[in-house]
Amino acid sequence: MAGSSETVYIKADRNVEVTKPVVTLGDVLTMECSNPAVMAKLKTIKLLKFHHTDKKHQNRIAVSILKVIQCIHECCPNLDVQNMGETDFIVTYEEQQTSGGMMHYTKIVLVVIISFTGAAFSIMAFNNDVDVPKMFSQIYELMTGQQSDGFTILELTYCIGLIIGILTFFNHFGKKKFTVDPTPMEVEMRLYENDIQTTLIETYSRKEKELDVGSTDSNGSHRT
Amino acid sequence: MWAAQILMAVIGLSAGMVVAGGLFSFISGLGVISDFADRTHTGEHIMLYEDSVALGGILGNIFFIYRITIPYGAWMAPVFGLFGGIFVGCWSMALAEILNVFPIFVRRAKVLRGIPYIILGVAIGKGLGALLFFFNRF
Repeated sequence: MAGSSETVYIKADRNVEVTKPVVTLGDVLTMECSNPAVMAKLKTIKLLKFHHTDKKHQNRIAVSILKVIQCIHECCPNLDVQNMGETDFIVTYEEQQTSGGMMHYTKIVLVVIISFTGAAFSIMAFNNDVDVPKMFSQIYELMTGQQSDGFTILELTYCIGLIIGILTFFNHFGKKKFTVDPTPMEVEMRLYENDIQTTLIETYSRKEKELDVGSTDSNGSHRT
Repeated sequence: MWAAQILMAVIGLSAGMVVAGGLFSFISGLGVISDFADRTHTGEHIMLYEDSVALGGILGNIFFIYRITIPYGAWMAPVFGLFGGIFVGCWSMALAEILNVFPIFVRRAKVLRGIPYIILGVAIGKGLGALLFFFNRF
């Protein structure tokens, strides 16, 4: 049906979460083709199926883009496929979560408490370690020649400076951002996710569990 | 006299800002908080966690420097101990992870199985070590 001159451009995200056990190409890819009819047909091609949808089994599989191209070619052999995105990607099956459940909020509260006490602990440990109060009284004596009573302009401005420093570093407080850049934690979060995805893909491919052309299909099958 | 006061104000302010920059880039750079957010699948609330870290640092510092007593705050001691402990535990492991301690040892010693037991050993060892440290009042 498709002429040999037609090209389909596909782009996969590195990490795709699906909520249905049967995964079609349209679920995991974005694609562009000059012929809308071909595109509509391609989107419904089955790529894989998760057999065990309960919590005990790992519902995660790494897929090579070659497998996707193979699926497309089985349907339309003359189609020219151009991959614009990742060469390997992860498909995770997760049941529709009831967002906003008690558990979710409990987790958030727990993380907030841990990060709060952790940060408080760290700054106190740092102050204790380098003996900031003693150093301030030494500086005070050096500057004024009088004995410090432990409550001087140095301590006050140190506290203020620390507040300014923290807020400048994190670049926001509450919803109010000071500049448009992402905050350090947002950057760190993305880096962490990237590392996880790279590790997953490499682990699967090293164990030869990746869904690739010519591999024995252990977890999913595109024909079911 | 006034010159000294102003100079000290400048010193205090700059010290605070530099310490904040250093310590908090260390906290976020080790990725403990992003790890928490990822494990609990609450990555969309990362801004809230940042606020929490900022507030913890600010209040912790003020309470430490001015030695403020919290009235009826005795119940907070075990809470602070527990959550502070969780944080430091994650922190020390994150530090080991950044420094590639485990990959190097696993490669050198050619350990392939039993890595979970090694981690369990490290955790129990750290816990007992801390207990011994405090019990003997080192």
